[in-house]
Amino acid sequence: MTKIYGEGDTQVRALQDVSFSVSKGEFLLVIGASGSGKSTLLNMIGLLDRPTNGNVIIDGINTSTLSDNQISSFRNRKLGFIFQSANLLSDLTVLENVTLPRQIMGNNGTAISDAKKLLTTVGLEPQMYKRANKISGGQAQRAAIARGLANSPSIVLADEPTGNLDSVTAETVVQLMKSMSRKLGQTFIVVTHDHRQFGDVDRVITTKDGRAFEGKESSKIEVTA
Amino acid sequence: MLFNKKASLIGAVLAVTIGILVIHVNFVIFQGLFDAIVRDLTDYRFGNIQVTDEEDYIDKSDISLINWFERIPYVEAATPRLSTTASINITKNGERIEETRVPVVGVDPLRDIRASTVHKTVDEGQFVYSRNSIVLGSNVARDLGGAQVGDNVKLKIVDRYGQDQLKRFIVTGIARSPGGQGFDYSVIMHIDTLRDLMDRDGYTSSIMVKLNDPTKAIEVKEFFLRSFPNEDFIAETIEEAAEQQLAGFRSGIAMINMIGYFGMMSSAFAVVTIQMMLVNSKTREIGVMRAIGAKRKDILIIFLFQGLIIGTIGASVGTVAGLGYTIYAQETKMSWNNSLPLEVTIQWDKILQTALTAFSLAVIASLYPSYRATKLLPVEAMRTV
Repeated sequence: MTKIYGEGDTQVRALQDVSFSVSKGEFLLVIGASGSGKSTLLNMIGLLDRPTNGNVIIDGINTSTLSDNQISSFRNRKLGFIFQSANLLSDLTVLENVTLPRQIMGNNGTAISDAKKLLTTVGLEPQMYKRANKISGGQAQRAAIARGLANSPSIVLADEPTGNLDSVTAETVVQLMKSMSRKLGQTFIVVTHDHRQFGDVDRVITTKDGRAFEGKESSKIEVTA
Repeated sequence: MLFNKKASLIGAVLAVTIGILVIHVNFVIFQGLFDAIVRDLTDYRFGNIQVTDEEDYIDKSDISLINWFERIPYVEAATPRLSTTASINITKNGERIEETRVPVVGVDPLRDIRASTVHKTVDEGQFVYSRNSIVLGSNVARDLGGAQVGDNVKLKIVDRYGQDQLKRFIVTGIARSPGGQGFDYSVIMHIDTLRDLMDRDGYTSSIMVKLNDPTKAIEVKEFFLRSFPNEDFIAETIEEAAEQQLAGFRSGIAMINMIGYFGMMSSAFAVVTIQMMLVNSKTREIGVMRAIGAKRKDILIIFLFQGLIIGTIGASVGTVAGLGYTIYAQETKMSWNNSLPLEVTIQWDKILQTALTAFSLAVIASLYPSYRATKLLPVEAMRTV
């Protein structure tokens, strides 16, 4: 796929002829320098933005054929998001934030008990009734991980999930994501500028100047169709 | 509420509340004033129905007309009135003071006190009980150098043949009505005395009919006109008879009401502004919600629901506050300019109409901000700090 922003002289090719597939249960790192296109790539995979050319196919469904409403439902059911700055809704409690994807889905039956289990798993049981703006950055990021997993999504997309955290908290969050990936068998696509925090992962893709390469920069193999 | 901004929401609710309260206060004061004037004109001058004749005077027996009316169950009483103007003079401390073109009203004192409350406006002395007594309106008494009860005054009236008729009277009372809708600028005398002076024996200017159920005025009026098809009677309800006096007030009240509704429109604009501020301050959260699967419709519902909440609370609080003010005005017998007691009524249909209008405006005012919220793209919205 290709993503072009702007027109004419101000045109920017944020992504160019990028093509790769990810297997179910893979833990994939997307690394690259700032402005290399890794966040744009994540936005395309997360259906938050549409590619200028090309398609994103998830679970065999060509998402370019979906309407806006269908894309919203698709994001809700198939994708989980973990953002760099957690992006919890500050007026809600931690528990309410984690149940939110299920509320949007309209599946409220076991939403609260499932969210409590997830919060216990990420070590936030004592904080679950606190307002989201009353917990620390590390706790917020763990809550964001719980929210990203609340709908049991096929793919969890994380954009610089440790970007705003100190090294100790970042390590905790990385281990948490890896353990959740192993435990739940979900695909994780993590964008980061510092792959060393993540240690060994299933696969690494490097972005540079809008193109994507298999492996770390030292041994890059371009991934195109 | 998902997007909790208490101060902004309280501001929006207050805007709606104040919009309603302004309309209630306007209604209590200006509609109360209008109704008070109608009440006083009814009680003092016109009754609920006033019968006159196309030819200035009714020559049919006033007793027969009054008896005809008083047989109708809706009629409480009826009384004849005769009107003209006179010159009136008084000598005080050797000085002669004269007033010309003073309105004179002839009343049947025994019938008048049943159909009118004008006798209650006599705050010094007593009403007209004999044929040579006269009641001066307070302003006439003032203009006559401070005429008092017991003074002698001389009236000059032109009779039907153009001849001046003179008669002395003893002032038995001074009439002063709260609000000035009574006979403060007139003099009141016995109707038979006035008939004699005018040489119009048996004539009447008008019959004032008081109903025990004012809502039946049109029904009674039409029944009367049907019953006397060959006479030249004019029968009018208070609204018709006092149209000239009320027209100015009516347009004034319409303007005040319009200002009230403009106030309500301003409240709606305040709701739009506050809701837009909420959308702008919550752009990032909207982006997050969209990212985790909320549809445009879900975002629309959140902000519309917020509008519903603002409308419901604002309309309820405003209505309760407005009702509180109305009841306070009723209980304290609030008066205009410390003289005319306002006629304060609780009109549930108008209260409901005001509340529904305010509620609808708050919801409509939320439409555009809600629509704007749905148009935010998740990626761009989440970039907002």
